[in-house]
Amino acid sequence: MTYALNEVEATAKKATRGAAYTWGLAEEAAKATRWLCAQGVDGCAVLAGLLRATDRATDMAPMSLDGDWASESGQLCALISGASLSDCAYRLPTGAIRMHNVVAPQLLLPFAAAAARHLGHPIAITWSGNTVIVSEAGLCTADIPAIDVADLVTVKTADASGQAVAQSTRAAPLATDWAYLNELAARTYAPATEESRLKGAGSGLSDND
Amino acid sequence: METVAQTTIPRRAPATVMRLSRLGSLHQSRLSFMRILTRRMARENWSFSRPVFEIDDKGVGHAVYSATGPDRTYSLIAFAHDLPPDMRSDRVIATAWDATFTLFDGVPTQADIDRLAKNVPYQEAGRVSESELSVSRANRSVRLWEHFVDALAAGHQPDVQKVAAVGYLMRTTAVYGSGKLGAADREKSANRAETLVPFQIEMLSVFLTRAFVRDLVNHMAKTKGGDAAVDLAPEIALSLGIGNSTGLGMAPYIVNHPVLFNNWIVAREEAIARVRSVATATEKETNLFRHVLRRSETSIDRWTSEHPIQIGKLSDLQDDLVKINAFVAADDLINDYPWNRLYTWAEKTLTEEGQELIASLMLEPYGDLVDGLADCMADFDTDAFRIDGAMTVKDVHAHLEQCFGWGFFKDWSATENCARAWYVSEEKLEPRLAERFEEPVAEFEQPLAPARDAAHLHAALQDWPSDTPVAEFLLKHPEHRHMVRRAQINARAPYGEIHDNTISADVLPIDMLRCKLAFFGATRFDPRSDRWVRISMYGGAPYPEDLANSDADRWVYPELEGRS
Repeated sequence: MTYALNEVEATAKKATRGAAYTWGLAEEAAKATRWLCAQGVDGCAVLAGLLRATDRATDMAPMSLDGDWASESGQLCALISGASLSDCAYRLPTGAIRMHNVVAPQLLLPFAAAAARHLGHPIAITWSGNTVIVSEAGLCTADIPAIDVADLVTVKTADASGQAVAQSTRAAPLATDWAYLNELAARTYAPATEESRLKGAGSGLSDND
Repeated sequence: METVAQTTIPRRAPATVMRLSRLGSLHQSRLSFMRILTRRMARENWSFSRPVFEIDDKGVGHAVYSATGPDRTYSLIAFAHDLPPDMRSDRVIATAWDATFTLFDGVPTQADIDRLAKNVPYQEAGRVSESELSVSRANRSVRLWEHFVDALAAGHQPDVQKVAAVGYLMRTTAVYGSGKLGAADREKSANRAETLVPFQIEMLSVFLTRAFVRDLVNHMAKTKGGDAAVDLAPEIALSLGIGNSTGLGMAPYIVNHPVLFNNWIVAREEAIARVRSVATATEKETNLFRHVLRRSETSIDRWTSEHPIQIGKLSDLQDDLVKINAFVAADDLINDYPWNRLYTWAEKTLTEEGQELIASLMLEPYGDLVDGLADCMADFDTDAFRIDGAMTVKDVHAHLEQCFGWGFFKDWSATENCARAWYVSEEKLEPRLAERFEEPVAEFEQPLAPARDAAHLHAALQDWPSDTPVAEFLLKHPEHRHMVRRAQINARAPYGEIHDNTISADVLPIDMLRCKLAFFGATRFDPRSDRWVRISMYGGAPYPEDLANSDADRWVYPELEGRS
């Protein structure tokens, strides 16, 4: 079954919030997952992979934005690091950003793309000897190396971008990933009571008029 | 290319416009989405057809209504059902309806219809595809429907008094677009000329639904009365709108889409500023305003409500109309910035209902100054979402103060200031509003209280050196990321935030609903509670086949009886 990208975005936001990230980061995860799906990458698999590894984990943020980025616990969350990467786009023209032990590094790509749009300049992201280029137009590298944790990720401005991949208008997540994201999303829903049904939503008036 | 209008009178300030009580007093205008659509369809000479009408004697079956513009065709596929009365509910938790619909992108094949017949009648429990642009449903007004069928079947027209009291035969209870239930994302149609303006898909769906409802009631009367039955008289059909019953689900929309909301408001505010800046009106323009004002009075006379809040507001509006009539009788409305004088007088004299009525009405003679603004109402600013981490703590604070400074020092722990909490229910996945101190929902709270969140961010920023890039602050305070984003968006979109407390003990969600529905072009707002409102859409509008030969713009104002 295929889903609208709007459905992906809404589900990703709720799932990330359900996994105890803040609303602001959940919004980032939602846009990032949508961007990946629009590039033809299975963004739901990437997000589900990250949330499986980080659900309710703590200390996965960079300790500092100065020097190489590394976390207290040893592993960096790609969502938190990605958000900081996008925030720090202004630093990229003057030097690379290096990150250690990044979980679900594919999730850095949409944030690098946001930085590329802001700078008007393509960006290269390298891990495990593979380099992925993103530009204002989107993802410019067809094959994204699949890996759960990247020892070292280097992000820097690139000289040239090449052609962006064709944009997809639908997402086709694996049923297991979609179910997992919805399971997390369900944590954001309050159980209904008869009182809340009447109080919370409308009037108790009949509609048979 | 549009000439740039010179405005000597500035736009009204966000702090004036964005108060909930004012947003809850907005009226439809030239920039309402329904009128934008009907103007376009008439201008472009759209053609309409009904290729399929297969409804049986029980009123069960399906029909297809197609609308063809210069570049493409859109088709409403309507499914009619035989709904037992005990299943009829306008609430979003309903599972069956009198009629269900989808707007198809193109002309559906029989295979498309077969596929959709297995899904659309189930609404949220079904799935549609990228070929469909919206999904919706409607219930009958039971009292009016039965009266219509009985009267027409017996060979006479329904009682116009009863028609006037309700105003519609069916009311939609949800119109889903933009990728909901598997339908195409907004991006599929966002760059088409005819759907660039927001909600044109949904408005087209309702426009065609109205024609279906008229045809269905005629069909049912014919089935019941046989040769004795008569068709509904065109003048009664014309007066019928489509009702809509809207609950809380719509309220968070304007908070969750600050750039889009800004663009709607700023288009209308720019229109108001342009018209207020007209130095001298022609006699023709002034006469048109006077005429529309009189027609508007008829419309307001027909607007009834049983809700105490709206009864009070309607009474105020009637008082305002008396004052407006006295003012316009004594003023030529031609010289010395007539519309600015009128508006400035209104601002000092009338309630917000009356002020906003004047603000909308004075746009009527100035289609050339106003209508082009419709193309600015969509959200094209995809970069607004990204946080600029280089912005200093000081600048973030300054942006925050612009829209939320009024709330920085409010006691946000006081019960009356945070009495409510927005949450999503497990049952139907729809937004609801709880009493924070009576129901255990705080941990499920949605981020729909920007003023409170701004005050907390303001407090947190105090501890940081003013020249710190906000990227560093956000690394340590991810809980403020949502609000830093909003503050930066507001710097680009200053009409995107409500300047009021959305979780106070006395917040009225119907104010948020009214604002959004006024932009749709709705009339006859009739709250059923503080969080639930019924409205009418397209009452007085030409039917598809008459669009080219009728007033496709000012149909919203009833014609004056006994006058040319």
